[in-house]
Amino acid sequence: MGVSAGQTYTVTLANRGNETYRVDARRALLDSLRDQGVDLPFGCQYGGCITCAAKLTAGAVDQRRQVALNNRQINDGYVILCVARPVSDITLQIGVEAHDRLYRNPFLDPLKAHELKADIATPKEV
Amino acid sequence: MECCGPGYASPADAIKAPREKLLYTIAIYTGTGIQKPDYLATIDVDPDSPTYSQVIHRLEMPGIGDELHHMGWNACSSCFDDGSMSRKYLILPGVRSNNLHIVDTATDPRAPRLHKVIDGADIKAKADLSGPHTVHCLGSEIIISFLGNAKGEAPGGYLHLNKEFEIQGRWESSMGDIKFGYDFWYQPRHNVMVSSEWAAPNTFMPGFDLEEVGHLKYGRELHFWDFEKREPIQSMYLGEDGLIPLEVKFHHDPDSTHGFCGAALSANVIHWWKDDGGEWRWEKIIDVENEPHPEWPIPVPGVMSAILVSMDDKYLYLNNWLHGDMRQYDISDPHHPVLTGQVWMGGLLGKATHVNGVEMAGGPQMFQLSLDGKRLYVTTSLFSTWDNQFYPEIREKGGVMVMIDCDPVNGGMKINEDFIVDFGKEPNGPSRCHEARYPGGDCTSDIWL
Repeated sequence: MGVSAGQTYTVTLANRGNETYRVDARRALLDSLRDQGVDLPFGCQYGGCITCAAKLTAGAVDQRRQVALNNRQINDGYVILCVARPVSDITLQIGVEAHDRLYRNPFLDPLKAHELKADIATPKEV
Repeated sequence: MECCGPGYASPADAIKAPREKLLYTIAIYTGTGIQKPDYLATIDVDPDSPTYSQVIHRLEMPGIGDELHHMGWNACSSCFDDGSMSRKYLILPGVRSNNLHIVDTATDPRAPRLHKVIDGADIKAKADLSGPHTVHCLGSEIIISFLGNAKGEAPGGYLHLNKEFEIQGRWESSMGDIKFGYDFWYQPRHNVMVSSEWAAPNTFMPGFDLEEVGHLKYGRELHFWDFEKREPIQSMYLGEDGLIPLEVKFHHDPDSTHGFCGAALSANVIHWWKDDGGEWRWEKIIDVENEPHPEWPIPVPGVMSAILVSMDDKYLYLNNWLHGDMRQYDISDPHHPVLTGQVWMGGLLGKATHVNGVEMAGGPQMFQLSLDGKRLYVTTSLFSTWDNQFYPEIREKGGVMVMIDCDPVNGGMKINEDFIVDFGKEPNGPSRCHEARYPGGDCTSDIWL
């Protein structure tokens, strides 16, 4: 799937007064937003460490390069900004205030087999 | 022996060194929601000083998101007879960023300054490594364990730096069949290094999924290396007794073959030694029982994330991060440890919610013991993502450093009532402290040839 040169999308930051930014479809969201002055947390910058996770509430991203999220976190809308690229206009909640469902006590709230990371998850039985 | 290099001629000499007056601990903002760099804090630990028990200096790293964690010296007692060396530089790896920060602590010990940064991307390009953890000096050179390759996949390997902090490439000749990396310690007189296993950076950095233990994403083996050949020669499968074997410590006595490992999830101490027939053996010597909790469906494991051996090799200290206790065992007979001290600070069991007036978030985590064995400094944060899972209130409350008075003669521990450093009150907001080191050497830095 190719992305044509110059393709841009609008990112709305729901928990920053619905500020909007135009971003390049070929660049990681973290880089595009930081370049425009948005103060965002980050760590490894290759999709492995979850520090930059944000919650996607509308639209879609391509985050195939991320290896940090389990399937429950993905189903809860989390995206890894250092590798995610927009494929439509999107709305995000950013920063740790969006991390309400990102962290969970693993003993009190275990994952089901289909909620594990992609490499060890088994398909959900229906 | 001519004595003009760093450190001490022997463990017995180290014990007689002057009392520590400063200590350094890392403090993180990574993962806390505060957009500031992690930093190296200098703590005044001189009881005669007007700023005793306070942070007196903060050296910020150049960027955000490093997650400083463990650190190590450029030189230790392994170059005691090398007059060209000195214990001047502290190496601070960023687990997430892969950057190595070289900090000059000698020019002004109270106000360390940044000497050099080895760029994480350069390490990935030249050595295919990420996720740095333990730093040891190797005579005049330095080796650092990394838990992953450049993509964050296990087992990683060891970065070799020369004394000018230039990348020499990989230290090891082979990783053999080792699945994971973490901590290591070596005992040159027996030509042995022992290494332990956490997990791949891509597994542990985002947080702890318990199910991944069952899927063999976390370690359960110890590895014995031919130190001169730089290759593993024997692995010990610890099984259920050794789930997530983290810190490894040899006796400080360079002639001893005895060593210890804390298995974090099993909350056991594993003891190893070489028997009379020259074979390496291991046994479980301490088993911390899981504790019931009114809100938990299963008993709470201790999570023994660190161990430490006193410089006289008489006491072993361990933490139970989720329970909230620090323990002291007399290991004069390493096969039969005797519990001689226990104190509570934080934890999930509610046994010590406050220490010296400070509300605790987290539990006892990393600790550093004075060379004379009398003062144990303990911090409360494990790792940002894991803190956020088990102790989410640490975001607002920050980490704490506590001092425990230890009796090195008769055994016993007691929380010192005059000392506490509350990182919840830091100028830029609550930060979290982890590993600590002393400028003159401590109980986790020195190896004797």
